[in-house]
Amino acid sequence: MDFAVQAKNLVKVYNGKVKALDGVDLTVEASGTFALLGPNGAGKTTLMRILTTQLKPSTGEAYVFGLNVTRDGGKVRKLVSYVPQEMSVWTDISGYENLLIYAKIFGIPRLEREKMIDEALDIMGLNNVKGELVRTYSGGMVRRLEIACAMLVKPKIMFLDEPTIGLDPGARKIVWEKLNLFKKEYGVTIFFNTHYMDEADLYADDIAIIDQGKVVARGTSEELKHSVGGEIISFTLENFQSESWLLEEIRRLKLVRGVFMENKDLNILVDDAESSLPCITDFLKSKALSVNRISITKPTLDDVFLKYTGGRLEEKGRISDVRQVRYMIRRG
Amino acid sequence: MMATFKNMLAMIELELRRLGHDRTEIYSRAVQPILWIVIYGNVMSSIRAIPTSGIPYIDFITPGVIIQSTTFISIFYGLTIVWERDSGILKKLLVAPVSRYSIVVGRAMASGVRAIFQALIILPVAVIVGVRFLPNPMYLILAFVVIFFASGGFAAASILVASFMKTRERFMGIGQAITMPLFFASNALYPVQLMPPILREFSIVNPLSYVVDAVRGLLITGNFSNLLGDLIAIAVFDMVMFILASISFRRIIE
Ligand SMILES: Nc1ncnc2c1ncn2[C@@H]1O[C@H](COP(=O)(O)OP(=O)(O)OP(=O)(O)O)[C@@H](O)[C@H]1O
Ligand SMILES: [Mg+2]
Repeated sequence: MDFAVQAKNLVKVYNGKVKALDGVDLTVEASGTFALLGPNGAGKTTLMRILTTQLKPSTGEAYVFGLNVTRDGGKVRKLVSYVPQEMSVWTDISGYENLLIYAKIFGIPRLEREKMIDEALDIMGLNNVKGELVRTYSGGMVRRLEIACAMLVKPKIMFLDEPTIGLDPGARKIVWEKLNLFKKEYGVTIFFNTHYMDEADLYADDIAIIDQGKVVARGTSEELKHSVGGEIISFTLENFQSESWLLEEIRRLKLVRGVFMENKDLNILVDDAESSLPCITDFLKSKALSVNRISITKPTLDDVFLKYTGGRLEEKGRISDVRQVRYMIRRG
Repeated sequence: MMATFKNMLAMIELELRRLGHDRTEIYSRAVQPILWIVIYGNVMSSIRAIPTSGIPYIDFITPGVIIQSTTFISIFYGLTIVWERDSGILKKLLVAPVSRYSIVVGRAMASGVRAIFQALIILPVAVIVGVRFLPNPMYLILAFVVIFFASGGFAAASILVASFMKTRERFMGIGQAITMPLFFASNALYPVQLMPPILREFSIVNPLSYVVDAVRGLLITGNFSNLLGDLIAIAVFDMVMFILASISFRRIIE
């Protein structure tokens, strides 16, 4: 079984100066949802444009379902579909007309055309606005229309470049609900770029973090967070005097990796909070300690990013966000 | 080949649908050529300053003015492909299972739709102000075919030029800067024989002259002695521009 995507030491240098990709090695399994997470200028779009045969890598090789993107570009284009970061529909015709024109460009046979367009409109929840000019659509509707266009070809893999950029949380949620609906129906592999941590966290089965043209971390959301360190359960206890023998006894419990006090709260470091909690509370009960409050702190992907690059993803992302939103508005 | 043709039809349909929603651009762009014909044409006709071998001057320039305005439309249309580079449309087309050549040719030929609409608006006005067209519908249809194909060539030429431009702002003026010299250094407003020798030589390589000559023969004079040569010149121009524009397309993508 071929990987959906495989990149080997990919390097891309623009105009002999800008090194957008600096030796990317990556494999992506078929039929999952994969997120390429990284800050502004990390090289996400560049990688996606190489994988979709728009750009040639400077050195290195890339494969989509075993096909070389440089040598077998024509064959690759038959398997993939792509939603660019920027707006990619015509705003001066209706949503339905956009799908119709794209269906014709994609060479979908006349007999299947109407059915596929209907289906795409249906899944993306655009049936009631299909006759209206795209100019009157909201940002979320435009994004869903673009995804509908990408669905027409029934791709094996769908590349989405920042699918929810500039959308409000409600619209983002709808876009992902519809995407998952589509995915369930057709079993397509989804490869998306994002600089929203929570988006990668919530929707991706598998994540790669990219920074300055390099993949710096790789794994599922859980794996990545574990790699940073454990989770912290903190207890606020009634009438609690910390006594070293007690802390020592907790430390000896299985699943517990560390114990420390902070502002009279008992903090316990574990690998996985949910599964260790029962055992710890049982222990506290056995010592007749009553718990007022429990809180759990888990590492975020931002902590992962911090660990591997020394910079925070959120801060880097924010400026680009403002820029992108403006960009979308100007285009619309 | 078949795919290229289908892609071209889809692009043409796109333009028809766009025009179906909003035609104001076509109307507003028709104002200038109409003024040329109605005012300039009439004035120059009455003073008879330019010898036009027997036909009224206003009749002489009408094909020229129509072609200059359709040419401007198609050159401008070609430039908009760079707008599409800034948006995601071009990127999406590049990932579609069609050849790059067919994207370029399809886009270029779709400009012919706008050109034809433009001509269709100017034509009746010319009739009203007294321009006498040859009363043969076959000639009219052939003239439109000529305009259609010539537009494709000019649009491809402007894709070629646009591929060298880095920003959108820069080539807004370029459209004017290309069309006006083409217009004045052609046989659109006066017979080539009246031009200074340098311009006369330029008009030999000026594709606009061939288009004007063909359309003028078909619509006004009925003189077809150069028609075959004109058609060949336009076909060659189209082929060369399609090939060059397809090659330059790489630059637009990066
Ligand atoms: N066509 C281009 N020509 C020159 N440099 C480019 C080009 N496209 C991107 N770059 C540069 O390459 C680097 C990576 O850009 P890329 O667009 O791949 O990043 P990204 O991760 O998609 O960022 P963003 O969040 O802004 O979309 C940046 O420094 C960018 O300025
Ligand atoms: Mg990007």
